[in-house]
Amino acid sequence: MNGPVTPLVTGPLLDVIDVSVRFGNTRVLKNVSFQIMPGEIVGIAGESGSGKSTICRGAMGLLPSTAEVTGEVRFKDQALLGLGEADWAGLRGRDMAMIFQNPASHLNPLQKVGKQIAQPMIRHLGLSASEAWDKAVRLLEDVGIREPAMRAKSYPHELSGGMKQRVMIAAAISCAPRLLIADEPTTALDVTVQAKILELLKDLNRQRGLAIALISHDLGVLADICSRIMVMRHGEIVEQGEAGQIIDAPQHPYTRLLVDSQPGRKQFKAGWKQTEGQAPLLQVENLRVVFPGKRDIVDILRKRKPTPFAALDGVNLAIDAGETVGIVGESGSGKSTLARAIIRQNRPASGTVKLDGSPIERLAGRDLLELRRRVQMVFQNPYDSLNPRMTALETIAEPIWRHGMADRRSALSQASKLLDMVELPAALGERKPRQLSGGQCQRVGIARALALQPQVLIADEITSALDVTTQAQILELLARLRRERALTLVYISHDLFVVSSFCQRVYVFRSGRIVEQGAAADVLTSPKEAYTRELVASLHRLPRQVRESIEG
Amino acid sequence: MHTVLRRLIQLIFVLAGICIITFLLVHMVPGDPARVIAGDRASPETIEAIRQRFGLDQPLWQQFVTYAGNLFTGDIGQSMRYKRPVVALIGQYVWPTLFLTGYVICLAVPPSIALAIASARRPGSLADQLIRFIGIAGMAIPVFWLGIMMSRFFGVGLGWFPVSGYGKTFADHLHHLFLPALSTAIWMVPVLVQSLRAALIEKASADFVVAARAQGAGEREIFWCTVLPNAILPTLNLFGVLVAFLIGGTIIVETVYAVPGLGTLMVNSLLARDYQVVQGLTLMFAVTTVAVTFLVDLLSAAIDPRARV
Amino acid sequence: MSMEAAPIQSSMKQPAVILSWSLIVAGSIVGIWIVLAIFAPFVAPYDPTAIDIVNALKGPSATHWFGTDQVGRDVLSRVIHGARIDLLMCLAGVLPPLFIGTTVGLLSGYYGGAVDTLLMRLYDLTAAFPFFVLVLAIVGVLGPGLLNFFVALAVVGWVTYARLVRAEVMAIRDSEYIQAAQCLGYSDRVVLLRHVLPNAFGPVVAYAVSDAVLVMLAGASFGFLGMGAQPPLAEWGVMISDGSRYIRQAWWICTFPGLAAISLGLGLAFLGDGLGQLRRGQVST
Repeated sequence: MNGPVTPLVTGPLLDVIDVSVRFGNTRVLKNVSFQIMPGEIVGIAGESGSGKSTICRGAMGLLPSTAEVTGEVRFKDQALLGLGEADWAGLRGRDMAMIFQNPASHLNPLQKVGKQIAQPMIRHLGLSASEAWDKAVRLLEDVGIREPAMRAKSYPHELSGGMKQRVMIAAAISCAPRLLIADEPTTALDVTVQAKILELLKDLNRQRGLAIALISHDLGVLADICSRIMVMRHGEIVEQGEAGQIIDAPQHPYTRLLVDSQPGRKQFKAGWKQTEGQAPLLQVENLRVVFPGKRDIVDILRKRKPTPFAALDGVNLAIDAGETVGIVGESGSGKSTLARAIIRQNRPASGTVKLDGSPIERLAGRDLLELRRRVQMVFQNPYDSLNPRMTALETIAEPIWRHGMADRRSALSQASKLLDMVELPAALGERKPRQLSGGQCQRVGIARALALQPQVLIADEITSALDVTTQAQILELLARLRRERALTLVYISHDLFVVSSFCQRVYVFRSGRIVEQGAAADVLTSPKEAYTRELVASLHRLPRQVRESIEG
Repeated sequence: MHTVLRRLIQLIFVLAGICIITFLLVHMVPGDPARVIAGDRASPETIEAIRQRFGLDQPLWQQFVTYAGNLFTGDIGQSMRYKRPVVALIGQYVWPTLFLTGYVICLAVPPSIALAIASARRPGSLADQLIRFIGIAGMAIPVFWLGIMMSRFFGVGLGWFPVSGYGKTFADHLHHLFLPALSTAIWMVPVLVQSLRAALIEKASADFVVAARAQGAGEREIFWCTVLPNAILPTLNLFGVLVAFLIGGTIIVETVYAVPGLGTLMVNSLLARDYQVVQGLTLMFAVTTVAVTFLVDLLSAAIDPRARV
Repeated sequence: MSMEAAPIQSSMKQPAVILSWSLIVAGSIVGIWIVLAIFAPFVAPYDPTAIDIVNALKGPSATHWFGTDQVGRDVLSRVIHGARIDLLMCLAGVLPPLFIGTTVGLLSGYYGGAVDTLLMRLYDLTAAFPFFVLVLAIVGVLGPGLLNFFVALAVVGWVTYARLVRAEVMAIRDSEYIQAAQCLGYSDRVVLLRHVLPNAFGPVVAYAVSDAVLVMLAGASFGFLGMGAQPPLAEWGVMISDGSRYIRQAWWICTFPGLAAISLGLGLAFLGDGLGQLRRGQVST
């Protein structure tokens, strides 16, 4: 099934000419034109709401029927818009295929994955069910799944996220399409898995001459594997060109902003403090947090022991007053469990967390309230972290009057000062979370955490749900605040770039243990442990790092 | 296997709980249980005899042990009114009810599926709005009133159907029970349609449907192979609940149409204060519901691999 | 990335206008019945219990719009007075289970543990009995009458509310704004009443309204079976039961209370549906 490597077609494979899309009165795509040549990998970059997914779904005819599409889309000189249902069905999966951001929800939960890969071949190539099954098994092997014959019989819920995406890819390439549209295919995956999936896509492109349109918010990923990149914003292409040119010599101001906002491009050194050997402010000693395994009645009858899961296993760390410390790890590494242990939401099985030398586990009453005032946290999900029924101002003011630091009226006026401090216009104070943007919500969350004037601020993945440009702004805000308020920051993230540009020291977590620690710059440039090296190698850095520091 | 075992053990606990509740039910009766069983006009001697016979002078837990022991031997009580074991009574009255239940399901399920599909094919269309409206409206109609109206119109007025009884042959049954089954079905269809419609619409916009479309599946194939199997699951779970409602519905409908079934027996026994029959019937209805729910669970496990872990 | 889909979704939701219309109509129907019930003695043309044998079984006319029943009572007046009983049934049948269930569900969902396990087993057990059968059996054993009907409803009905609230609370409990509230040192009482409850209550209200339909129909059914409201009380189920014996000569005795029950039921059902839709719409945008 290996297609010809160098096709003789000279014209573009996909030709999008002046396409606009509107839903009712909202235009989500404005006069977009671009081409994809056979065998090339084109990157489409943009933040949420830029229309990058819409254009690709439009090209596949997958937009909901409420969408009005105008313009022209040609695939190998065949006009696509206005095709009938049957013509579309013959084209999709056969000549052009698509993979999606969240592989878990895009697989049918009731069918074996082998069958799901076989179906397009039965449909398009007229194979028999058993022939298609055999080919599906071989495809699974091609996309790098071990024991493919056994895995083909699995159901989606039995596979990991990375394996599900490989299954999606296997189904997509089963009929040897000419074009693969990949819509954020690695966003939901851990970095090390992301690196492997991207490697697979590159291989497919090289070996089969498969043209790929790769949609991503991550310029680093695109710069790594695409020959050309186009940048979209508000439904328009603001710039397109060779990958090198876009990264190194962006023409459009927005492209420049996007490039500069990429994690690791800027160093946020404001408020970094030299520590002078005093006793550490926050100490974690031999901390072990265990979640009991589930055991139902059948297990009890069969005398099966529950298997407890140690989310944290013997973790030691010490943080000095005024320091900014990063905690890095992939999902399941225990980094959020650590945060929850520090704010006393997870009880340690053994070990202790000490603030100023005294353990926090036994605190109660007045002392506990004192701890609450000293240690605060900002959460990951901008919308989920605010009570949907309270306005921004009420949310920020509540801790002030509940802790008796002011009456309700003056708490509100303090809250509006805090609102100003996180650079939100006063008018937004009356809004409820769903009327705010993600970045604005996160600013309210920061203001709420700072309302009690804490010493220690824990930030748990606070920018992971945000666009890169918003992320850069939030980091800048946080850097200013830590300088002004002499905050001790614990910054938790999956993104080594962000952590190393924002933090002085880094702890790398894996499976509940610390695998490496040290100065942020050292860990990023010369990692010692194998796992850290793999982590660093999976990062997609933009060529020619422009290092720039903002000193306070 | 594990799931089935767990459900079986759960089942045993629920059954034990059901026994306790039905046992306590009769003991909630205000006043002397012996007098209650014997009836208002019984002589003191009869009451004393009943107290002896049913062990009502024993402590409560001993009475329960006796009750539970009797249940194991298949003795679920004795009717005061009919002077017969409750088991025998149920054996006599159960057939019209079973027939009616099956009849209702046959009348309700096919149109429900058809209407739900018609509605979900184009959500928001006129047909969909109409079906949705009827769906909500149908639940607001009192079944007994509908029964009376239909028996007046089709039975008495037009003379198409008999308005009471059960008949002798199978065709007779069909004829006699048509109106009762129809009145119950009219009330059941909306519930089924609403659930299935919601599930269909939800699954039709699911990500895996978009993925199937992107792989070139036709709309017909997508609907039958992807959307429908996924949408059936939640409705299947609802079906267990519906059987419980169906039992309640048949009680009323049987009373309206004087069908000699368990519902009529239940209401008559309640009015005649024949508590052991009420107790036995409650037990039986509960066991039936639990059994149906169990079967539904097994069936969803057969369809859904995620439920098999 | 999830935000990218937002404009698509919101533009797909078009039936919002029709929905709010049905909400207004449903609300007015329920409102009219409430007004009629409150002012029944002033609105009703006759005394609902005044017997007038001479005019028994008279069909609808200018003097008796809905006709008269077997003892000559004015059906219209009885229907209007019946609204008092049937609306009261909705309230007394829904509020106690709502209150008990919400309290238990809130506590068990938030704290988990043994209480929670017990509640779930209790729910399994209650769900094992067909709702109608259990209520019927309890009422039968306690003795027919409205009060016992309400007692039975509270005994059986609270579990459904508890389970509903529990599920909501468990979803909310893990959300970050609750973690934030705990981290800010708010007391459990404040977290539960100010942060959890307001966000868990929406679905309960929507369910309670549709539950009111169920309760009203059950109440009328009980009246019909002779297990609920007792004659000569003007309750719609009782009236239908009375009238069913004269259905051949006097269709109106049965028909009008039934239509009254349907209209109130429709109003409540659409109100519940509309509230549910409104809530879901709010959540998704």
